[in-house]
Amino acid sequence: MFGINKIIPSETSISFMDYRKKFIILSIFFILCSILLLTFKGLNLGIDFKGGTLIEISTKNSNISELRSILSSKFNDVSLQEFGNSENIIIRLQNQSNQESIETVNQVKELIDKKVSEFRRSEFVGPTISSELLRKGLQAIAFALFAILIYIWLRFEWQFGFGAVVALVHDVMITLGVLSLFNIDFSLSSIAAILTIAGYSINDSVVIFDRIRENLRKYKKLELPDLFNLSINNTLSRTIITSLTTLIALICLYIFGGQAIKPFAFAMIIGVMIGTYSSIFIAVPTLLIFKFRPQEEDNKLI
Amino acid sequence: MKNYPLWKSLLIILVIITGIIFSIPSIIYKENSNNWFFNNKINLGLDLQGGSYLLLEVKTEVLFKEELENISDSIRLIARGLQTNIVNVNTNKDEIQIRFSNMNSIENIRKKFLENYRNVSATINNNSIKIVINEMFKKSLQESAIKQSLEIVRKRIDESGTKEPLIQRSGKNRILLQLPGVKDPERIKELLGTTAKLTFHMVDDDDSLSLGANIAPFGKLIVSDFYNSDIKYLVEKKSRVGGENLIDAKASFDPQQGHAVSFRFDTTGAQKFGKATSENVGKRFAVILDGVVITAPVINSPITGGSGIITGNFNSQEATDLAVLLRAGALPAPLEIIEERSVGPGLGADSISAGKFAAIIGMIGVCIFMILIYGTFGLIANISLIANLFLILALLGTIGATLTLPGIAGIVLTIGMAVDANVLIFERIKEEFKNNNKVLISIKNGFARALSTILDANITTLIASVILFFFGSGPIKGFAVTLSLGILASMFTAIMFTNFLIYLWFSFSKKKEINL
Repeated sequence: MFGINKIIPSETSISFMDYRKKFIILSIFFILCSILLLTFKGLNLGIDFKGGTLIEISTKNSNISELRSILSSKFNDVSLQEFGNSENIIIRLQNQSNQESIETVNQVKELIDKKVSEFRRSEFVGPTISSELLRKGLQAIAFALFAILIYIWLRFEWQFGFGAVVALVHDVMITLGVLSLFNIDFSLSSIAAILTIAGYSINDSVVIFDRIRENLRKYKKLELPDLFNLSINNTLSRTIITSLTTLIALICLYIFGGQAIKPFAFAMIIGVMIGTYSSIFIAVPTLLIFKFRPQEEDNKLI
Repeated sequence: MKNYPLWKSLLIILVIITGIIFSIPSIIYKENSNNWFFNNKINLGLDLQGGSYLLLEVKTEVLFKEELENISDSIRLIARGLQTNIVNVNTNKDEIQIRFSNMNSIENIRKKFLENYRNVSATINNNSIKIVINEMFKKSLQESAIKQSLEIVRKRIDESGTKEPLIQRSGKNRILLQLPGVKDPERIKELLGTTAKLTFHMVDDDDSLSLGANIAPFGKLIVSDFYNSDIKYLVEKKSRVGGENLIDAKASFDPQQGHAVSFRFDTTGAQKFGKATSENVGKRFAVILDGVVITAPVINSPITGGSGIITGNFNSQEATDLAVLLRAGALPAPLEIIEERSVGPGLGADSISAGKFAAIIGMIGVCIFMILIYGTFGLIANISLIANLFLILALLGTIGATLTLPGIAGIVLTIGMAVDANVLIFERIKEEFKNNNKVLISIKNGFARALSTILDANITTLIASVILFFFGSGPIKGFAVTLSLGILASMFTAIMFTNFLIYLWFSFSKKKEINL
């Protein structure tokens, strides 16, 4: 590595930049897959965004198929799903255009009252609210991305902002693709997950960018790919350790945090893994598009 | 501790101790306490303590419809006086178009009409008049309807025995309700979904022709029976007395009639009711609630005492609820429930214990990991992490924030992310020590160099969570709150507390080496 080892005060010296083309192609492939999934399969929108009724019950003396046959005799588009274990069942109903919401929940409750030991929760989201929540959720994501972009632009040169945003869009797209692939319920907490992933993704990129900026000042003669490698290696143990502690917490949340939190934890786990990958293999290589030094051409001669 | 100012040490220790003390109310968690100190505890959101969240929309369109109906009735009367026939009436959202058979007296009709109505505009187009309700008037109608609805909803909820309800206006025409601990949300929804407009009308039993044809003559109304919609009544359109004149209503029990609601009129109501009943002995009057006849008894003798009972085939709960509704008064416009989220107490308790368990296991996992990686430095990071949790709990408790299920997720996530600042610092210290081999200088430089990175990295996440707070709704806000507080607390503990602990350690141990 042309003596870089001597001035790298870190244990690793992996030349990440050598593999950048392979990883960029891989990422483009994943993004395309995500776009295809989102267009043709779509997200599994929960009642927050689609509207409808959701009732969670626990049953002692019945099972899902019995309840299903009772309910489907009265409702056309009722779906039942076990939630965590076979005693917990979630009943979903779409909004009926000609029926009052209160009636739906009441009718369901009356029909299955004898089979149920506890009505754990019931949710109803009317059509006006669901479209409003969707609009607000998208707005929140747009605003957050914009605000983060402004911050990066103020704190760094605009080229870094570009790199961070490319990585960010990459992370959000692929996370959405994975959510679509696994049919994960997309709800309000998924919006929270997406925003947190955005924050985390930028956070990861920023730490490496900070080091790149510092090294640009420190090693004025170093070629950019080598300088980027150096910077990634400098921060590599931090990148990995922080990802791992975050993942430890999230995996605990996924396993022990209860059924309701699982979709959120799942999205976050995917997002953190992709975010870590992209800050190294996407955000930094993107910076190579730009010339950070006016005398770039001269350096190549060394 | 030469390099470490005393005031700074004291301040840091003070903050941490205050944090620990003020997290006690949330950790011990006494349900109801009059003690000032113990009231600084975290509020549990409806998803954790159980309860109902309801969002209601006041259907103000109905008001315009009513107003337009009044207008059309009044025009009809005027036209009749001027011997002009009405060909048809076209009602739209907030306008009405009335076409007359000829245009001779149309200008006259318009003039007479406008003498009584100020808040509308009436324009003549050939042989029809178009009447539009003013924007200003619409707004004031809406505004007063929402204020009134809010008042009545509050009364109804209070009467239903719900403890500590939160009832507030939301946006232009919505009412938001948070009802902690409600066990039977269906009953509450029933109470809120009823307009409870009670009116007493005289029944016309002579005109069986109109009733048979199902066409009400002018000034009359065909209303169906509540219990059997095939039974119809022809009643006077104008009510003799209404629910607004009630001063009391109670559920009562009559040995012959079963459950009933007894009521009492105010003076005006008693007079009106007395007059109507004395003029119409032998005839029937109909008690109409929200457009259906509950009961239509024959008047045996004038009722002048101003009180009476309404019988129907009520059960005890129905009688109680009707009494509640009548006491609280009628809603000016119907309410529609557009969002409901009800959580039973069982699920709430399960969520809390699952969340706690996840947080504790996550905490242990992260702590073990940090010790494996960093040894004593890891231990210091862990002490910081625990202090961080105390600070989060104390902050949540003292600002009276509401902890929700996503909020718990935010805390668990913070446990994972909070060590980041420590990791950044340790990695820097490690590098610095490799470069210069001087313990205290490495620590000092390590902290200084890591500082800007810590700020940059955390501010981006903070931006995302603050925006989530402003755009998110309900439980999600709770996530934004815990995440934001977690980030702020972790910056403090890493930059100040970890720093302090490391100085303390190296000053006392007088170590000459940093093993990271």
